[in-house]
Amino acid sequence: MTTLDWIVMIATIVAIPSFGLWRGRRSKTVKDYLLAGKTMPWYAMGLSIMATQASAITFIATTGQSYVDGMRFVQFYFGLPIAMVILSATAVPIFHRAGVYTAYEYLERRFDAKTRALAAIVFLVQRSMAVGIAIYAPAIVMTVIFGWSDQVTTIIIGVVCIVYTTKGGIPAVMWTDVLQMSIIFFGLILGLITVVSLMPHGVSFSDAVYLAGAAGKLNAVDLKFDPNNRYNLWSGLIGGSFLALGYFGCDQSQVQRYLTGKSVAQSRLSLLFNAMAKVPMQFFILFVGAMVFVFYVFIPPPMMFEKNAMQAVSTQPAWSQVQSRFDNAWGKRRQAAEAVSAARKSTDAAGIQDSLGRYRAAQTEVDAARRSGIQLYESSQHATFNDTNYIFMTFVTKYFPAGVVGLVIAVIFMATMSSSSGELNSLAAVSVMDLYRRHFRPEASDRHYLLVSKVFTAGWGIWAVIFAQYARNRGSLVEAVNQIGSYFYPVLLGVFTLAFFFPRVRGSAAFWAMLIAEAAIVACALFTHIAYLWYNVLGAVIVVVFGVLLAAVRG
Amino acid sequence: MKLPIEMRVDEPPPILGRWRNVNIVVLAWLAFLIILFYAFTRYFS
Repeated sequence: MTTLDWIVMIATIVAIPSFGLWRGRRSKTVKDYLLAGKTMPWYAMGLSIMATQASAITFIATTGQSYVDGMRFVQFYFGLPIAMVILSATAVPIFHRAGVYTAYEYLERRFDAKTRALAAIVFLVQRSMAVGIAIYAPAIVMTVIFGWSDQVTTIIIGVVCIVYTTKGGIPAVMWTDVLQMSIIFFGLILGLITVVSLMPHGVSFSDAVYLAGAAGKLNAVDLKFDPNNRYNLWSGLIGGSFLALGYFGCDQSQVQRYLTGKSVAQSRLSLLFNAMAKVPMQFFILFVGAMVFVFYVFIPPPMMFEKNAMQAVSTQPAWSQVQSRFDNAWGKRRQAAEAVSAARKSTDAAGIQDSLGRYRAAQTEVDAARRSGIQLYESSQHATFNDTNYIFMTFVTKYFPAGVVGLVIAVIFMATMSSSSGELNSLAAVSVMDLYRRHFRPEASDRHYLLVSKVFTAGWGIWAVIFAQYARNRGSLVEAVNQIGSYFYPVLLGVFTLAFFFPRVRGSAAFWAMLIAEAAIVACALFTHIAYLWYNVLGAVIVVVFGVLLAAVRG
Repeated sequence: MKLPIEMRVDEPPPILGRWRNVNIVVLAWLAFLIILFYAFTRYFS
């Protein structure tokens, strides 16, 4: 990092939360602290909801996933607009007019206290794990750049996050998100321009896209229905819809955002804004990852992007042979790629076909050599390996110009702190409103609950730092977060569906249906190979079916 | 299945007159993106 990078990074990290804290300086009551006094406009809510999702994970892991697996992950988001349309017409008006602090508070009005408590606990379990994973993500950046232990950096980031969240409350978090999202959009465009401009002389943007497609990295849509395939059009539309319904309709970290709206219409608009912007944004991020792949077609990449793993495995006797195989395959791929570019310029159809064949064969060999290296690491270190999360930041720190590196790192830090802050705030809201105030201190003063909210915020922050250690060696962080969500959201989605649309179903039926569905999901995860996105459909349907059946049986 | 009372009372959107029209625009946008991405996949594969 250059001096300019440090200046840009520190200035951004200091300025943005300061703006958020300034905007949230009037938080004197619990309603201000947890709901921003219900004063937020649609664009602030919309950008804040996007910012919560666009955490550091989005930048670090999604681009890496595109490098390794292509752009098919974009299908995961196809269900989101459908879910937003449904929620803007159902959950938003219901929650708003109920005047609740949390989504689960509504469940007690509709069902009973035990259903509310169970839903609150399910949320706390899921979100507390997700926030731990989110905090771990930027530690990767520090590991790559400075060589620090990711455990130490996790603790540093967590402490900064806790202090900021405890002080600011939801208004500070959301106004920070607004600025952060603006910088993210700017950073993404700048990132793509930089990647393309770094391509070797003679490789045009058109060539880069062509080579990415030829290597199978532009596989954005797969129409084939296969329940065991994680990402295809159908799993995205159906499973993704259910997951998004659960996430945006039942997860307090999202519900809390649109509960801060000035009016129902403002909150509805915030969700529909997300519905239109999210899919193109994810496509764009994945496309940046595909361009990073093409860059490494011409510039030698490390076989494994995690430096510590490379160092560990490079002492193995078989390593030099694997590395040599990788280097040879990469050299052939580069030659073939240059031949493809040259043939395209001369519009030589036969030459294009011939060089494409060699390019694809070399790509297969590069992949095979890389797999050999990974297998060597896993067998020698007795550990699983996944370097998806290291790819993009390795590229940024090595090849981006001075100043841009600092900006990208600042964006990643800000994204983490901002989204984690919102999550900590929502964890505190549920802990205080759904459990502490409901079951332990129902009659205390507003000032007491404000103080307790801050204590819970700090407590959940400490827990998140501890859980972050679990995220190590847990594969792609994006998938880890989404997998955890798919174990819990369907149950919440099912119980809210019962609450909204099945007036005959009462508390006990809903409560037992939730437990049955959670057991079924755990059984699916342990004993079947069904892709995790389908758990969202399965779990929600089981809750609804059993809720209706139990209600009918009990009369 | 009867909608809860909270969902039947609504404010109009600031554009397009009715929420139904806004929803149609959002879903049409999704359909357009899927078709566009599919064409993108086919063309570059």
